Amino acid sequence: MALFPLISNFEEDFVLQLLPVDTENTMDEVAAAAAYHSVGRRVAARPGCIMRVRRQGSEELLPKSLKVSESGLKPMECVEVVWEAPKHGA
Amino acid sequence: MATLGRLDWYDIARTTNWTPKYVQEDELFPPEMSGSMGLPLSAWETYDEPYKQTYPEYVKVQREKDAGAYSVKAALERSKMFENADPGWLSVMKAHYGAIARAEYSASTAEARMVRFGKAPGMRNMATLGMMDEIRHGQIQLYFPHEHCSKDRQFDWAHKAYDTNEWGAIAARHMFDDMMTTRSAVGVALMLTFAFETGFTNMQFLGLAADAAEAGDWTFSNLISSIQTDESRHAQIGGPLVSLLVANGKKAEAQKMVDIAIWRAWKLFSVLTGPIMDYYTPLEHRKQSFKEFMQEWIVTQFERALIDLGLDKPWYWDQFMAEIDTQHHGMHLGVWFWRPTVWWNPAAGVTPEEREWLEEKYPGWNATWGKCWDVITDNLLAGKRELSYPETLPVVCNMCQLPINTTPGPAWKVRDHALDYKGRTYHFCSDGCQWCFEQEPERYAGHLSLIDRFLAGMIQPMNLGGGLQYMGLAPGEIGDDAHNYAWVEKVRAVREKAKAA
Repeated sequence: MALFPLISNFEEDFVLQLLPVDTENTMDEVAAAAAYHSVGRRVAARPGCIMRVRRQGSEELLPKSLKVSESGLKPMECVEVVWEAPKHGA
Repeated sequence: MATLGRLDWYDIARTTNWTPKYVQEDELFPPEMSGSMGLPLSAWETYDEPYKQTYPEYVKVQREKDAGAYSVKAALERSKMFENADPGWLSVMKAHYGAIARAEYSASTAEARMVRFGKAPGMRNMATLGMMDEIRHGQIQLYFPHEHCSKDRQFDWAHKAYDTNEWGAIAARHMFDDMMTTRSAVGVALMLTFAFETGFTNMQFLGLAADAAEAGDWTFSNLISSIQTDESRHAQIGGPLVSLLVANGKKAEAQKMVDIAIWRAWKLFSVLTGPIMDYYTPLEHRKQSFKEFMQEWIVTQFERALIDLGLDKPWYWDQFMAEIDTQHHGMHLGVWFWRPTVWWNPAAGVTPEEREWLEEKYPGWNATWGKCWDVITDNLLAGKRELSYPETLPVVCNMCQLPINTTPGPAWKVRDHALDYKGRTYHFCSDGCQWCFEQEPERYAGHLSLIDRFLAGMIQPMNLGGGLQYMGLAPGEIGDDAHNYAWVEKVRAVREKAKAA
């Protein structure tokens, strides 16, 4: 366990923010930590949607249960946290 | 005894180059201090400038200017301007004085570099007057706000800001040090006098003077108009130098310095001048929008000056034009949201009628910036003020030192421009800031942004309290909403009226 700084770029927010997480955090936990600083502060919540993490510039979403320590993310790398609409019939 | 007319003796008196016998020319004018680019003295001696002011004329005119500005101040000291002014307007003054007053003193040392190391005699002569101008600007912009210190501690930041690690002060120092105190005589002439003063100070000093007059603040209006008359004179140092460099095959070198300075000045103006013109100045006193001022002073006038002198538009001009529409809205939102970290009280400027004005001046504002302000406004209406404050830091750019931000909403395009250099990753807000770094990485590489310092453990404790202490913000100085959230009640009234209708 160790403190791990990332840069959060939350979908539809206007600013990059410092996001201190833990190496043991999953991507779901990273998304929740990022949301804490954006959703309900400057970005409206989207009921029913979930939040996913991806590297800046990549369309590929990182697995929800992937840990920061397993992700290959570098300290102060910029991650994009994006909304994912619920899948119909899921 | 008959005296000669000025033009009969001016050139002789100004021709002060000589042939050194006891030292080499490069010892007298070290190239790194002169920025001489290998041009011979004969080339520098062709330099001329249009003002041709003499010292006696300078003293006479400056005395009259000072007498005018100080007498307006004295006459209006009992006018209760401070008590009667809109709090947004007081914030304009606080932001201006803190960012500018001490930078003016610093500018006098930059002018002094041209006085001592400029190889063109005409430049040395004019810069001597410029050096004294900047001392005047430092003194007068410290003296004028001082009368308000006893009523409001934030005015003390006119003097204090430059000595602190407050983020805006770091940004201002980083930019001014880059173009003023760490450049050669030629660098100062190109970056400070030509790019910054010809291009940008008009915006701050004439644009703001117009708003001040509209707001009834004659003391401030008169003061900054008086300063601008000096700026418009000594700013002329740079133009003839551009022509000289272009004529001697040094266009690329001149273009690069000018391009760096314009980009860097733009970023600082987007956080300082943009918000005060479009959000802090009371709606009824706004002469023009920030964008309109920018278009008049920068696009129309400065672009023409660049071309006339033989330079090209900077490579990033299209990006710059796009940012005139957007960047300062994000800077404003960031300053307001992180308001405890500034030495003034930002005015939100988002009542229904102000939003209407913003939408008219910046079509699409409501669908982008307005969306963020909707969430903030709803929180304040619901009594959840705590959600309108930050609990982390914005990531700042390793060049402009300002929060990395751009337009929010459906077009969402804020991105980290990351660059690895000698084992360290630098973060930039834009292609322009990254390009400035890449032109001379060693110049900038050692600097730590506020975020770098935070991550290095230099800010303790690692929370808002530790951050404010590091930035030198004491109780009574920490910023909050300029109108104490009274604007939220205006929104509530409008919404209730709409509901009842």
